[in-house]
Amino acid sequence: MRERRVTFTHQQIATYAEASGDRNPIHLDDGFARSVGLPGVIAHGMLQMGLLGTVASEAAGGPEHVTRLAVRFAGMVVPGDTVIFKAEPAGDGRLELSATNQKGEAVLTKAVGEYR
Amino acid sequence: MAAVAGRVYPAVQFDIEPDRVAEFARSIGADPKDGVPPTFAAVYSLGATAPQLFTDDEAAVDFSHLLHAEQEFEFQRHPRPGETVTSQGRVASDTSRRGMRFVSFETDTTDRGGAPVCKSRALFVIRS
Repeated sequence: MRERRVTFTHQQIATYAEASGDRNPIHLDDGFARSVGLPGVIAHGMLQMGLLGTVASEAAGGPEHVTRLAVRFAGMVVPGDTVIFKAEPAGDGRLELSATNQKGEAVLTKAVGEYR
Repeated sequence: MAAVAGRVYPAVQFDIEPDRVAEFARSIGADPKDGVPPTFAAVYSLGATAPQLFTDDEAAVDFSHLLHAEQEFEFQRHPRPGETVTSQGRVASDTSRRGMRFVSFETDTTDRGGAPVCKSRALFVIRS
């Protein structure tokens, strides 16, 4: 099983915004995020999925082996949250995937991973 | 708001630049030496095309109330650094219920020869 424990930070979210090109201010500007009803900046769902994809790639033997990744973004992740991302081969080319925060809540659900 | 199900946007070319791939890999805790991360498709497939939806006046997507609810990527193969791919987005469905709008946005990415590389399916929820 591959596992990674990540404590999210403003800097990490800003770095992902630059690397991905998704500079939506809800990920960068606490004041703006609050103005649209959020508690402050939130991590990109795609940053969470990216981290899950990294452990999935490791479990699959390399990113080139991954043939499908799917998730539902079920919970907000904010700076200071710690999420454990896990991936484990489950037979028949499938990966068992999970992303759980420090309260034991799944932040990504309906996660599907396949590889060959 | 206008429902725009079936709308197809012009195809977009995207260069898989090695430096960009490496920067992206580091940002998600991956080793750039391992290759192109699967979710780099968020850049060359979804990211290359979703702005066309977000800036479409007739689609009238309220970006400040948009949540990315679900995402799926299906790969025929992964692009190689240095190659150019083509991504084309379309609105697969656009429905509203109980004050929420649900837009399913699909993107097909192909290589220079037209062979499929990746299919992206995003579900966006727009709160009113």
